[in-house]
Amino acid sequence: MIINRREAIRIAGALALGSAAGSPAFAQSGTPKRGGTLTVQLSGEQRVLNPAIRASTGVYIVTSKIMEPLVDLDASGVPAAVLATSWTSAPDGKTHTFKLREGVTWHDGKPFTSADVQYTAMEMWKKYLNYGTQLQQYLEAVETPDATTAVFKYSRPMPQNLLLRALCDLGYIAPRHVFEGTNILDNPANTAPIGTGPFKFVQYERGQFIIADRNPNYWRKDFPYLDRIVWRFIIDKAAAAAALETGQTQLSTYNALSLADLDRLKTDARFTVTSKGLEANAFNNTLEFNTRRKELSDVRVRQAIAQAIDVPFFIENFIYGQGKPATGPIPSVSTAFYTEAPPPYKLDVKKANALLDEAGYKRGAGGTRFTLKLVPIQNGEDVPLLATFIQQSLSQVGIKVDILNLDSAGALATVYRDWNFDLATGWHQYRGDPAVSTTVWYRSGSPKGAPWTNQYGWKNDAVDKMIDDAAAELDPVKRKALYAEWVKAVNADIPVWMMIERTFQTAISKKVQGALNMPRWGSGDWHDTWIES
Amino acid sequence: MTGSLARYAKNPAALLGLVLLLAVIAMALLAPILFPKDPLSLAGRPLQWPDLGGRFPLGTDNSGRDIAAQIFHGAQVSLLIGLVATTISIAIGIVVGALAGFYGGWIDDALMRVTEAFQTLPNFLLLLVLVAVFGSDITTVTVAIGLVSWPATARLTRAEFLTLRNREFVQACRVLGMGDLRIIFREILPNALPPVIVYASVVMAIAILLESALAFLSLSDPNIASWGNLIGAGRNVLRVQWYVSAIPGVAILLTVLAVSLVGQGLNDALNPRLRRNPKP
Repeated sequence: MIINRREAIRIAGALALGSAAGSPAFAQSGTPKRGGTLTVQLSGEQRVLNPAIRASTGVYIVTSKIMEPLVDLDASGVPAAVLATSWTSAPDGKTHTFKLREGVTWHDGKPFTSADVQYTAMEMWKKYLNYGTQLQQYLEAVETPDATTAVFKYSRPMPQNLLLRALCDLGYIAPRHVFEGTNILDNPANTAPIGTGPFKFVQYERGQFIIADRNPNYWRKDFPYLDRIVWRFIIDKAAAAAALETGQTQLSTYNALSLADLDRLKTDARFTVTSKGLEANAFNNTLEFNTRRKELSDVRVRQAIAQAIDVPFFIENFIYGQGKPATGPIPSVSTAFYTEAPPPYKLDVKKANALLDEAGYKRGAGGTRFTLKLVPIQNGEDVPLLATFIQQSLSQVGIKVDILNLDSAGALATVYRDWNFDLATGWHQYRGDPAVSTTVWYRSGSPKGAPWTNQYGWKNDAVDKMIDDAAAELDPVKRKALYAEWVKAVNADIPVWMMIERTFQTAISKKVQGALNMPRWGSGDWHDTWIES
Repeated sequence: MTGSLARYAKNPAALLGLVLLLAVIAMALLAPILFPKDPLSLAGRPLQWPDLGGRFPLGTDNSGRDIAAQIFHGAQVSLLIGLVATTISIAIGIVVGALAGFYGGWIDDALMRVTEAFQTLPNFLLLLVLVAVFGSDITTVTVAIGLVSWPATARLTRAEFLTLRNREFVQACRVLGMGDLRIIFREILPNALPPVIVYASVVMAIAILLESALAFLSLSDPNIASWGNLIGAGRNVLRVQWYVSAIPGVAILLTVLAVSLVGQGLNDALNPRLRRNPKP
């Protein structure tokens, strides 16, 4: 007992020192070494391993090593050539021509051609890929004048910078010859992917592991360095931390460890804990208001709720300082679109009470004004913590909150399909451009049941117009200004409150080199990653 | 009966169990007096270490809630769940077991097949299904626990009825023209009851554990202060702030131990001939 406590105090002290000194920079050194196996922890089961029909970090962390996109981010966060080598856009923004890489073959030996691009874009991105259906809704055709040219034709202007940035996530190419003439969603290649990437899929054992081996015919000569990547499913976070510490795994990314363990491992010399290499995957903790509920249809009530919650206190004390109050739906890491502003709401319990009184909801028996049902949409351990904190905070202003615990699928169905909630809290993931996966949270007219979209019964014609205009604006400066105006509008009306801006954390063994070297490294191809002996 | 009481009083383990159980009951009764605030409200900075002389003698959990308040209020929840779920389970078990044991034949066959069907499913899995389908508020959870834990009681009651139904006193009742229900509930049941009462203590201990296990998986009612919820919350900080899970763990351990010891004591007191260590 005493030793444990002493040790705990020692660790606590070390943590305080560590955070004061700041985390050491990730060092890259030495000559790359060939061979070896990288073992990666996965915190959840994947039912689909095809990034052309399912956009999710859980899919990318595996399949981005096996399949490749047209373009991907470089070290400085600019879209760079992968399967596409160059691109030009017509001045009206309706035609985008991609030159494709020559001499690339699929893992089954067939050549990669523009027909694959045409098929994937029209049959997968436009029809099934979440966010892709929205992004490509005005894509009319992909023309293939020759085997290495793909011409994207849009019926409305598509800004080139939006298209390129979006294609880093939503631009993975699937093999036409494998999918054509089959039911795409039932195709076995969705769980045994065939790609052009540096690693070839070997085996997927449900609930156990996924294995991919080095692709000797990879188009980047002499890459990759690693012989094999093994992804192990370890759902229990304590077990995942133990696996990392005993060397059974070398990498846990996208917050796959508990916040407490991430904080603890910061001071362990064997590991790097950082948000570097995941900057492109900023996310927000959200609070969504179902405006079909009478009380919540009043903007004063929504604003009162936002002013009853002490967000900085939550960040500092509940989630180990891993985040900052958000200033709107566009995170500060997105320099191309972010406009400096203070957080729209801060704690003011007096004002919150006054707003609620003004809206006509006086305190009744026991000091309660009304009761709301809060559905946490499970994503990380911070979601239930925030749900509890919202419950605690709102009780101070006379709003009783009942938390309804459901599993992840149940919560998504309850909130986005059945609309059976008053408040919901989960994550909004930002993907480099507000038009990719952010404006859908506000645009009216999403099909019922589409998760992470506006399902709160909220409609604002001015906001809808701003979203549509910005998505078709070709001038980057004007686009940024339009989004700044849009952020102001949605902050004032808050159908959903982006409470906290967060970045994911990676815990990685220092033996792993060639890592964290681009802003979506967790979803990168790892062709230049190697392991120090 | 006085003989039973005396035998119980002579059993030190049983007395210890009784003292512990009374302590838990006292905690439950004192909770609203000692901790009048909502135990789920924010009490202070999260993850403060236990400090016996300070404001939070047992520390705060990772949501900034007072652990001591949750332990006291959690005693209410655990006892309530234990008692209600046990009552439901014992009631179902007795009715099913009594009917099956008394009538035999096809009634026995039918009821026992149903019982066996329940027994083939691990009761925790069945509980997970019930909670997933009907939701996780505390009433549902309690009823669900009662519904999954009756089969053993039913079999026990049936076995007792099988041995008792052809005894002379039952035959005498028949000759006197008593109705079946009267014979079952007024004549046989009181004689079959002692082992069932003892088993009830086992059911109660299991019920408390089942609720904790549900809460550990975040599937119990999050709007009440239960020990299991606290353990579940503490799981994420187990490596450093182990006390968040350890304190309610000890509370559950002691309560289950108390209930079991009392049950064992009752067993020894009510069935002296079955006592494990007969004293000369």
